[in-house]
Amino acid sequence: MISLLRAEFLKLRSTRTSLGLGIAVLLVSLVPTVLLIAFIPTHLLNGGELGAGATLVTYIVLVFGILGMTNEYRHGTITYTYLATPRRARVMVAKLIVYGSTGALAMLAALLVAQLVGVIGLPMRGVSYHVPGGGALADYARQIGVAGLVTCFGVALGAFLRAQVVTVAGVLIWALLVEPLIVAFKPGVGTWLPFNVFGQVTSSTLATDAGNVAAHSGLARPEAFLVSVAYIAVVSVAAVVVSMSRDVT
Amino acid sequence: MAVIEAEHLSKRFGKKVLAVDDVTFSIRAGAVTGFLGPNGAGKTTTLRMILDLVKPSAGSVRILGQRYRDIPRPATRVGALLDSSGFHPGRSGRNALRVVAAGAGLPDTRVEEALTMVELEGAARRAVKGYSTGMKQRLALACALLGDPEVLLLDEPANGLDPEGIRWLRTFLRARAAEGRTILISSHVLAEVEQTVDDVLIISKGKLLAQGAIGELTRTAQPVVRARSPQAEKLEALLTARGAAVNRLDTALAIRGPASAEVGEVAQANGVVLHELFTEVPSLEDLFLEIAGTRREL
Repeated sequence: MISLLRAEFLKLRSTRTSLGLGIAVLLVSLVPTVLLIAFIPTHLLNGGELGAGATLVTYIVLVFGILGMTNEYRHGTITYTYLATPRRARVMVAKLIVYGSTGALAMLAALLVAQLVGVIGLPMRGVSYHVPGGGALADYARQIGVAGLVTCFGVALGAFLRAQVVTVAGVLIWALLVEPLIVAFKPGVGTWLPFNVFGQVTSSTLATDAGNVAAHSGLARPEAFLVSVAYIAVVSVAAVVVSMSRDVT
Repeated sequence: MAVIEAEHLSKRFGKKVLAVDDVTFSIRAGAVTGFLGPNGAGKTTTLRMILDLVKPSAGSVRILGQRYRDIPRPATRVGALLDSSGFHPGRSGRNALRVVAAGAGLPDTRVEEALTMVELEGAARRAVKGYSTGMKQRLALACALLGDPEVLLLDEPANGLDPEGIRWLRTFLRARAAEGRTILISSHVLAEVEQTVDDVLIISKGKLLAQGAIGELTRTAQPVVRARSPQAEKLEALLTARGAAVNRLDTALAIRGPASAEVGEVAQANGVVLHELFTEVPSLEDLFLEIAGTRREL
């Protein structure tokens, strides 16, 4: 498994996908935070704006996870991947670990960049910067964890569906349009839908921005976490089962 | 000892396409075996079934006595060249190999050795998208050699190679064969492999038509007598009357049945002038066309 993890990390480092991820994360953590600090009236600046880009980062790592698997099919590299490791479930596990941890690291980097903007920008508006306390840190930790989970979900969906454009477009339409509508009109159902569940692990990422009205009255955080893991596990197992009977032509 | 054994192997894609139809064969250790057939014959599908990339609809195939997926660290036992386009275009040649080596648990030193073997070390830092087809083919070959395997499965390795590249490949394969490796090489260009292979499998429309040592198969193939005469039409009639199969194009004749001596005697007895008369040793291509029943003379 160590060699497989090495291979997956090397795949990440040796193409521009990871560079694209880095640039995207940097942009979405910088731009909203800078704009909010620059234009919000000073009496409203309370440090909450420093996590403004977190939602976008979550969507970026979701797409990053999807690309991690679908790129293998798009470029045909899956043939060499399976020749080196014919046990397809092991490939899936390695991808989940590598992409999940990279997604979490991307969120950590985004939050650190936002804090850096706060350190520099808030005093310029005459507002003092406060190092995040226990509650904020716990919220950040949850955001990092959710980013890892969402990336894993992307990997699993990519493995299951394979077609890159269809998967990216379909998942984004579902997450940004369909699911919020279901949550709005059928909150009882919406509480259990995947992106809403991810959002319920931390109330400051997907759920609130997706117009989720049930996030705070739905699942408790531990339950939401378990349901998130269950979603990833179910889609991953389905992807492995399908991939084992799927021909690589 | 058989290195690869396929029994009643079949593969159906959907309801209409029967790509491989009840194929049974074995590949002996240490031999270079040509897997021959026209495009769409089922060669690639068969190779992919051997490598557990395609699931057989029926039958089974074993390599080194087991299923490919059951071989511990398979890249160290079996190397495969299947598709030269199976590389990420943005990755350098060296990194493409490093990724495969890492997945197979092989050290980076093997990457450099494989690059040297295929003479790509000078282009190793370039992105694969800048490679010519021949260079991609060499990179794919390097991939197959990473684990220094005892068995090589090569699917159309000469595709995209220029004449110099084909000669290089032939020399390269001979050197690997001389080391005692088992090589299964598929091709639809028979002349490419004729000078390299010991055994052949001939497949067409998913069915295995023949297998065996190339020497034995060509010996059983009917020789063709070639003749050239200004009275070709008369000679054709004379030979046809004696039961020979004759194809004529202008003054040239391709004769199946009688030996060249008999053709010469018939010509001499009937006052037919001959400008040329010789027996053609059947080539692999002749053999294939005869077995596949698609021969078109002249």
